[in-house]
Amino acid sequence: MQFALTLEGVCKSFGTVRAVDNVSLAIPEGSIYGFLGQNGAGKTTTLRMVMSILYPDAGHIRVLGQDQPEAVKDRLGYLPEEKGLYKKMRLGELLTYFGRLKGMQAADAKRRSHELLHQLGLGEWIHQKCETLSKGMGQKVQVLGTLIHEPELVILDEPFSGLDPVNVETMRHLILDMKRQGRTVIFSTHIMEQAEQICDSIFLIHRGRKVLDGSLAEIKSRGDRGILIDYDGDGGLLHRLQGVERLNDSGKQAEIFLHPDTDAQAILAQLVGRLSIRRFDLREPSLHEIFVRCVGEAESAQGKPRAH
Amino acid sequence: MPTKAWLVARRELLENIRTKAFWIGILVFPVILVLAVVIPALLENSKSARTYAVVDHSGWLLEAVSQRATAAELASGRGDDGDPATHRNFRRVEVEGEGEARLAELNRRVAAEELFAYFVLGEDPLHNGANNRYVSANLTDESLRNWFLGLASDAVQERRLAAEQIDPEIARWVQEPLIFETRKVGASGEEEDVQATDTIRQWAPVAFVYLLWISIFSISQMLLTNTIEEKSNRIIEVLLSSLSPVQLMAGKIAGIAAAGMIMIGSWIGFFFLAVKIIPKLLGLELGFDLGIIATDPIYLVSFVVYFLLGYLLFATLFVGIGSLCNSLKEAQNLQIPVTMVLMVPMFTMIPVAQDPNGTLAKVLSYIPPFTPFVMMNRAAGPPTSLEYVTTTLLLLLSVAVTLWATAKVFRVGILMTGKPPRLVEVAKWLRAPVGSVPQRRE
Repeated sequence: MQFALTLEGVCKSFGTVRAVDNVSLAIPEGSIYGFLGQNGAGKTTTLRMVMSILYPDAGHIRVLGQDQPEAVKDRLGYLPEEKGLYKKMRLGELLTYFGRLKGMQAADAKRRSHELLHQLGLGEWIHQKCETLSKGMGQKVQVLGTLIHEPELVILDEPFSGLDPVNVETMRHLILDMKRQGRTVIFSTHIMEQAEQICDSIFLIHRGRKVLDGSLAEIKSRGDRGILIDYDGDGGLLHRLQGVERLNDSGKQAEIFLHPDTDAQAILAQLVGRLSIRRFDLREPSLHEIFVRCVGEAESAQGKPRAH
Repeated sequence: MPTKAWLVARRELLENIRTKAFWIGILVFPVILVLAVVIPALLENSKSARTYAVVDHSGWLLEAVSQRATAAELASGRGDDGDPATHRNFRRVEVEGEGEARLAELNRRVAAEELFAYFVLGEDPLHNGANNRYVSANLTDESLRNWFLGLASDAVQERRLAAEQIDPEIARWVQEPLIFETRKVGASGEEEDVQATDTIRQWAPVAFVYLLWISIFSISQMLLTNTIEEKSNRIIEVLLSSLSPVQLMAGKIAGIAAAGMIMIGSWIGFFFLAVKIIPKLLGLELGFDLGIIATDPIYLVSFVVYFLLGYLLFATLFVGIGSLCNSLKEAQNLQIPVTMVLMVPMFTMIPVAQDPNGTLAKVLSYIPPFTPFVMMNRAAGPPTSLEYVTTTLLLLLSVAVTLWATAKVFRVGILMTGKPPRLVEVAKWLRAPVGSVPQRRE
C-alpha cells in the first residue's frame, strides 16, 4: 500500500508543554482520514507540522514520498481552522493568487479559478470583492483556495466548525468529491458523528499522544457490541437498570453496554412498559463510545482524571 | 524560491495602488506645492475691495493722502479708474452726516460689515500726531491701516519739513540707515556674493527631511496595518502553507517599498515639472532658481537613498510589531516607542539645518534610526565623504540586524494569538533556535 503521509516518532514542544508526543502514523493514499481529539489535544499542531508551518523537535515526517515536507508544499492543500480571506480582493483574483503561490502559471490559475467558481455556483461572483460574500460562501471560497492547484493531499483543519446544516452537507460532498478525484483527505474534528459518517480511517490523539489509529470498520468491530435505543420518557430509569456496565444517554437516544453475563433480552424486559421504546438495536459501538473509552483508559494509564 | 516572494510583493503593490490612501499620498505633494503658490495669489486677487470712510477734522490731510495715493497708483501703473482715493484693494466711501450722529452711523456700518473700517483724523496732525483713530471690526488684517498710515505720515512729514524750512533731501539723508551686505566664504576659500540660491540650499534640506519623514512613516504604516490584517483575519496560515515566513516578510517589505518608490518618484517628477518645465512653458521667470535642487545630486540622490534605507529600517520594525499584535489597537501601543524615536529628527531639524556640521548634527548622524533624516538635513553642509560612508555602513548594518531579528520574531509572532508578548519574551525568541516555539501563559 502506498502512503500519502507517514509520521515516525514525531514530537513537538511549546516551552515545557509537549503538544505532540512521539506520534507515529501511516495514512494510505486515496483515503479519508479523520484526526480526532478534544480541543488542545495536538491535532492542529500535527497538521501544521505536516504543512511545514511548524517543525518537529524530533521524529520524521514523510509526505507524498518526500522526506522533506517543504519540498512538496505545492502539492498539498491546506484549510486552516481559522479561516480568512483578503477582504478587498476579488474572488477570481484571490483564487488565482492562491494558485500562483502554489506554483501555478498565471493563465492556468486563472482558468482553474473560474472553473471552480462556476462549478460551485459562484460564477457571477468572480469579480466581486470578498467582503461582499456571506459567511457560507466565504467558506466555500476558502475550500476552493485549497483545491485550486489540484493537490494530491488535502488537509482540512476543523472544516465543519461554524457551518450551518446546509453548508455541512456541502462540505461533506466536497470532501467525498476529493476522494472520488483520487486525493487523500485528512481532516480534524472533535465531533465524532461527522467523522463516523465519512472517514475510512481515524487517528485518535489525546494530550499529544496517539491513543488509537486504523480503519474505522476494524476499530468498530473490535469494540464491544452495545444496545442502541430510541426512547421517550424518564431517562433516569436507565441509570437504575441491572447488569449495565456503561451508559451514554443523550435524552432521546441511549447507548447501553452490558456486563458480559447479562442478556439483552433481560434489559428489554426491564424497559418494557416503563419507557416508550421506538428502537432497540444490538450493534457495534459508536465512535463516541470508542473515543470516551479510549480516552478514559489513556487517562487512567497516565494517572489523570477521566475526561468527558 | 524568490518567485513566491515576488508574487507577494506584486500583490502588496497592486493592493496598495488600489487604496485611496496611496493616491492621496501621491497627490498631496503636488497639491500642496500648487496651493502654496496659487492660494496666496488668488487670495490677493479675489479680496473684495475693502471700503473705508474718513472723518477729517484737519481739513487738509485727507486731500493730501488722496493725492499721494493717486500718484503711487499711477507710478505703479495700476490706479486708472480716475477715482483719486482708489487703491486696487481699498475704496473710500463718503458718509453723510455730522458729529455724533455721523460716528454712530459709521459704527453701525462697521458692525453690519458694510464698511471695513473708518479713520478719524485729528484737528492738528502737525503738532499732535496722536490724536487719530482707526476703527474696525477686523483687527487682524492691518493692510488698510498700514497703507493709510504710511501715506498720511509722509504727508505730515512733508508739511513739517516745509514749516521748519528744511530741505527734503537733507531730511532723507539724515534718516538714511546703515546697510550691511551679507557675503559668504565659498568652497574656494574666497569671499563671494550671497545669492538667493544659497538660502535655498540652506533650507531645502529641511523640506526634504519633512518629505522623508512623511513618506517613510506613512509607507511603513501601511505595512503595519496589512500585516495585522493578515494576522487578524487568519489568512496568514493559508499563506504559510504555501511559502516560508521569510519569503512572506521579504515580499511584503519589497512590495510596499515599490509603492513607496512610485510615490516619491511621482513627487520628484512633479517637482521637476514645477521648477523646470512649467515655468519655461508659461514663460515665467521665478524670482529664485529651485532648479539647483533638482540638478544637484546631493539632494535628490540622498533623498532616494535615505528613503530606501530609512524605510527598510522602520518598515522591518513595523512588520515585527505587526506580527506580534492581533489588532491595530495593540499595535498602536507597541508602536509608541518607535514613533517617539522618529520624533527626534523632527525636533532637531531646525538646529541641524542652522549648523549642519555642528556637534549635535554629527552625533545624531551616527545613531542609525536618525541617520537618514539627519544626514539629509545636513545636505547643505555638506558632511564629509567619510561621514557619508561610515554612517551609511552603520545604517546598513542595523538594517541587516533588524531584518534578522524581525525574521525570527515574525516566524513565531505571526502564528500567535492572545495578548502581545512582553519585550522579555521577544528577547528570548531571538536567542532560541529557528523552529522552536516558546510556551505561552495565557
